[in-house]
Amino acid sequence: MTGLTASPLDLAALILAVSDPEHGGLTSFLGCIRREDAIRAVVAIEYQAYEELTETELATVAAEAASRFGATVACVHRTGRVEVGEPSVAVAVSAPHRPEAFAACRYVIDQLKIRAPIWKRMHYADGATEWIDGRDRVADGRSA
Amino acid sequence: MSSPISVTVRLFASLREAAGTDRVTLSVAPATPVGALWSHLPEALSAGAPPAALRYALNHEWTLPGAPLRDGDEVALVLPVSGG
Repeated sequence: MTGLTASPLDLAALILAVSDPEHGGLTSFLGCIRREDAIRAVVAIEYQAYEELTETELATVAAEAASRFGATVACVHRTGRVEVGEPSVAVAVSAPHRPEAFAACRYVIDQLKIRAPIWKRMHYADGATEWIDGRDRVADGRSA
Repeated sequence: MSSPISVTVRLFASLREAAGTDRVTLSVAPATPVGALWSHLPEALSAGAPPAALRYALNHEWTLPGAPLRDGDEVALVLPVSGG
């Protein structure tokens, strides 16, 4: 079970998807929106994915974790607007023992961050918004 | 002289916002390399150099800037993604 969703993440469904009587270790990870008050307060992040390639990359990362660690992986990333404090990505992993479960979970979230083409648009408390995509431009203020 | 080919360019993030659409169709010479597409974009999008870490996907698979284009191809301009 890997993919994208525009709906709130359901970690319980992911845990159920990886539950396996032969797997004694099951762990999960939620990546949540940081407020970052000390820098510039964030109220939400909007996620936009290149859907086709993201689906392929998530499935490939899950298959790699299965082959490297003997793990079963479920991983879902949000699209659309996610409010501060809410999760934008959920990973659940089971494996025969806990070392492989932890290692596989870490592998999946780290690889996803590098490989999934999903962009973030920051929504700040002052009303401004900003795409984080490496293009040079003036941030488009939306406070008016 | 061969006739131009038509390719679709998928846009994301600030490129999509600047274009007001999620894809544009470009007419280019046959076998134009993927990496040369940036200069064919509408002026509002191609202003400034392409981001240093710009990557490309061709028909939903990663590709390199030198890959030659064929008629009907779909290219995605994969702007840098911030992990985390």
